[in-house]
Amino acid sequence: MDDVREKLSRCFALAFPKMDPSQYAAASAQNTKEWDSIAQLRLLTLVSEEFGRDIDFEEFEGATSFQALEQALQVQ
Amino acid sequence: MRLAEAFQIIGQSSDPAKVKIHLLLGITPLHLETFTQARLMQHFQGAGVDIATGLYGDLEGNVRRACDETAHSAIVVIEWSDIDQRLGIRSSAGWRAETLNDIVNQAEAKCRRLASQLHELATRMPVIVAGPTLTLPPMTYQPPSEESDFELRLKLALAQFLLRAANHHAIRLISDTQLALTSPIEGRHDVNLDLHAGFPYTLKHADALAGLFVQSLFPPAPKKGIITDLDQTLWRGILGDVGVEGINWALEGKSQGHALYQQLLASLADSGVLVAVASKNDPGIVEEAFRRPDILLQSSSVFPMEVGWGVKSEAVGRILQTWNIGPDSVVFVDDSPMELAEVGEKYPAVECLRFPSDNPGAIVDLLWRLRTCFGKREILEEDRLRLASIRNFAEHRSEEGSEVSADFLSRIEGKVTLESAGSDQRAFELVNKTNQFNLNGVRYSEAEWKTLAQRPGAFLATVSYEDRFGPLGRIAVLGGYCTDDACHVDVWVMSCRAFSRHIEFQAIRQLFSKTSAAEIRFRFKSTERNGPLKSFFAHFELNGSTAEGELVLRAEDFGRLCPRLFHQVNDKWMMSEKN
Repeated sequence: MDDVREKLSRCFALAFPKMDPSQYAAASAQNTKEWDSIAQLRLLTLVSEEFGRDIDFEEFEGATSFQALEQALQVQ
Repeated sequence: MRLAEAFQIIGQSSDPAKVKIHLLLGITPLHLETFTQARLMQHFQGAGVDIATGLYGDLEGNVRRACDETAHSAIVVIEWSDIDQRLGIRSSAGWRAETLNDIVNQAEAKCRRLASQLHELATRMPVIVAGPTLTLPPMTYQPPSEESDFELRLKLALAQFLLRAANHHAIRLISDTQLALTSPIEGRHDVNLDLHAGFPYTLKHADALAGLFVQSLFPPAPKKGIITDLDQTLWRGILGDVGVEGINWALEGKSQGHALYQQLLASLADSGVLVAVASKNDPGIVEEAFRRPDILLQSSSVFPMEVGWGVKSEAVGRILQTWNIGPDSVVFVDDSPMELAEVGEKYPAVECLRFPSDNPGAIVDLLWRLRTCFGKREILEEDRLRLASIRNFAEHRSEEGSEVSADFLSRIEGKVTLESAGSDQRAFELVNKTNQFNLNGVRYSEAEWKTLAQRPGAFLATVSYEDRFGPLGRIAVLGGYCTDDACHVDVWVMSCRAFSRHIEFQAIRQLFSKTSAAEIRFRFKSTERNGPLKSFFAHFELNGSTAEGELVLRAEDFGRLCPRLFHQVNDKWMMSEKN
């Protein structure tokens, strides 16, 4: 579990370089101005690279918060 | 490069953008933009780079709008879907026979429009073009193992378009062959991302493209000379052991690799690359070997031939002296690791490459490596003259001794021609590759070079030279601007081939004469290599050892200290009236 969170945090650090790491856990597309559809694609591609997994963009389309992404990655 | 690494590079820089580059595409820029920005920032050692992109699905509009903006350069990425949307997998307009015919007709018209637009863009800035890098979707009824009429007609339209684009000197095309080395065709298309977001490239493919963009925008300066060994390198066999008839370079002798190498050297020599020999051999027998009628590299293309029994690095040193170029401009090829190490130790800047005489595959790799070292976009008149002028001058100097006397210069019938540089590509090339006689070592992009000439009071001239040993072509560039109180020079370079003829003194004399300036202010910067320029200033008691600053040469000091000049001057240099 910690491993998923740590890796996901690394992706957030790259996709949202201006975000304070303490805010990652609560971050979502709703409360993060930079988190638009392009940022979502970048983030998912970084996740795919970091986790070494193929990401189905359709499946992850609704995963627009740190928590939702973490959950989806743990399920997989 | 991984995407994470690209983001790290981009995130590390807080510097203001050093350059702005248009990335013009019809697809979503997404990761191609990220990799291009990261690779450019790597090139600029972390400095910021501004990438401007356009609207999705509107390549033509994006190119048109870029024509109205200023930028360092533009990268244009064309995919089949930009030629016609129906050629992409996001369209479902049908693949029936009549549709295919219409696609070809539309594609031909689109290619013609795009070619005109690219030419227009290229008048404003250098343009890099990547043609379609993806395969077409399975559109025709013919088996994929065979070329279809439809695909051939499309490729023909595309090839005609690319050929037309390539005819403009400011347009460069990305080589698909080179691209395939790092991004094989089967690993390029990310169908999921294409359908989901309109970005059709895999990460690997996007990164490979970005790498080639940067190589094409900022190619390394080509090397100037190659020094080759003979035995087991230029030919198979040890000449001293097997004799002139025993050495070989042919398919029948299982030594075709040596023939290819000879062919490459002959081709390089034709394009202005200096070729010399450094060989431990008997000079007489080498001369005889070069008289063999089947030799592919003629002795007339080689100068000098350093053949003897001395140390290789000493032979290399004498060649460098004759050529008068720095070791970092030279490649040394030998089959012996020991000789390569010995030369490499004495001249660490020389690129030492082993000739793998018993491995044909590795020989072909070496030939590609050499093409990379010496690759240039065009062959100029100066390239054709280079070898003859070096040979003539060196031979004459050896007769006269090492010092060039005023008496010698008075007899060589030197002619100096000054002309406005205008858009002369040679002037741009010379400024960006000259090290030794270079006022400040500043290198210019094509866009920066154009703006130099637009300054108030600006002047930019080339200097050509010939004497009774032959023409040297355009060998110097002098540029700057005039104000009410002085003439300012910030561009001044001269090819090392033109040293010892007092051409630099004549150029400055002409500048004083044309501008009637009381003084010339030189924007000087000391570099590791510009010793010859410092010597010029020392002649006028100016402190060329200053690291950086303005050196002021007064007209009266120049008149007092300038050596006697014997050139005939052909003045074609039209300075504007405000000068």
